[in-house]
Amino acid sequence: MHISEGVLSPAVLGGGAALAAVGTAIGLKKLDYEAIPRVAILAAAFFVATLIHIPVGPVAEHLVLNGLMGLLLGWLAVPAILIALFLQALLFQFGGLTVLGVNTVTMAAPAVICFYAFRGFLRRGGIPASVAAFACGATAILLSGLLVAAALLFTGEGFLQVAELVLVAHIPVMFIEGIITLFIFLFLKKVNPEMLEGIYA
Amino acid sequence: MPERLLSKRTLTALRVLGLLLLLFLMAWATPALAHRVLVFAFAEGDTIHTESKFVPNDPVRQGKILVLEAKTGQELLTGQTDGQGKFSFKIPAAAAAQKMDLKIVAEAAMGHRGEWLLKADGYLPGAKVAAAPSPAAALAPAAPPSPATSGSKAANVDQQALEAFLNKVLERELAPINEKLTELTIHRTSLSDILGGLGYIVGFFGLWAYLQSKRQRDS
Repeated sequence: MHISEGVLSPAVLGGGAALAAVGTAIGLKKLDYEAIPRVAILAAAFFVATLIHIPVGPVAEHLVLNGLMGLLLGWLAVPAILIALFLQALLFQFGGLTVLGVNTVTMAAPAVICFYAFRGFLRRGGIPASVAAFACGATAILLSGLLVAAALLFTGEGFLQVAELVLVAHIPVMFIEGIITLFIFLFLKKVNPEMLEGIYA
Repeated sequence: MPERLLSKRTLTALRVLGLLLLLFLMAWATPALAHRVLVFAFAEGDTIHTESKFVPNDPVRQGKILVLEAKTGQELLTGQTDGQGKFSFKIPAAAAAQKMDLKIVAEAAMGHRGEWLLKADGYLPGAKVAAAPSPAAALAPAAPPSPATSGSKAANVDQQALEAFLNKVLERELAPINEKLTELTIHRTSLSDILGGLGYIVGFFGLWAYLQSKRQRDS
């Protein structure tokens, strides 16, 4: 999911940075004192998850967990993802500082979109909420893949070609993320419902 | 009671964080840099070999290789990696003549990209030796065949042949060491790196919480 340095044109980089800045500003404005530990945990989970490979068939993919972040954090996912990506770029040269904005947008925007798209179902409880939790995890990956393809649109690689590649590679990840999001949603609902207050706010 | 609330939250936080960490670290015990493209290049005679892989060890198949002049970014040639992530090319005459440093860029799909700088000193010795015999051969017929000069010329040619031969042997012998050195320059993500990153995150949000709590107290 991370786009490397030196691939994108300045216009795309600038646009990504501007969008990421706006999203971060909104997120930080909504970040109140009590939400800080929640944001910190998910930033940490994202930081670890995006570094670790899972072998899926012939290729190795990593988790993103942005659906889960959207579910638990809403807009707060933007600063959480930004800080984790910043540290990855700094410590591991993974992604890069100039592409930080674009990478933040490709992973955080789906989180926010899924938050608003599935919030209503998640509130209902029961089976609709479970289905929505799974869909939230899976859809976020799908949207991220599309956004990566869109960002690469101006680099000469065909959109459909890249989108197909990204999506095919991420079908197993979508499934796994859906399951993980569902599992954590049900777990938190039972054990610690106040972690889920974002969707009721 | 914000203090009690926070401590309860922090406990929850620790529990969930621990759970997640366990989940990841237990299940996939080999943390690796996901999808960073690494390309390295070395010269052998008048050919430059490149090898591209996703860290830690997954070849970039059918990736695009761009050979650029390091200073100006002028594109010298392009190519495609094979099934093992390898691509070889003859040293371009212009590059050898102007002693260009070469920047070799590997582009894999989905926006992954890696670079390797091949200094002129790194590939020119081989190119020189490969190019040297031809001027010598061109000069030889033009020079008058006096016994004294032809003797020294023969010694000269012998020396050149020897040098070329030695270069070849040395390259072959040093290739594994070169490869090892390249391996060593890869920064692999270790557990301590990851824990360090987590520490930064905790520290950053701790600082943020501290500043907010101060603001709350002030107002």
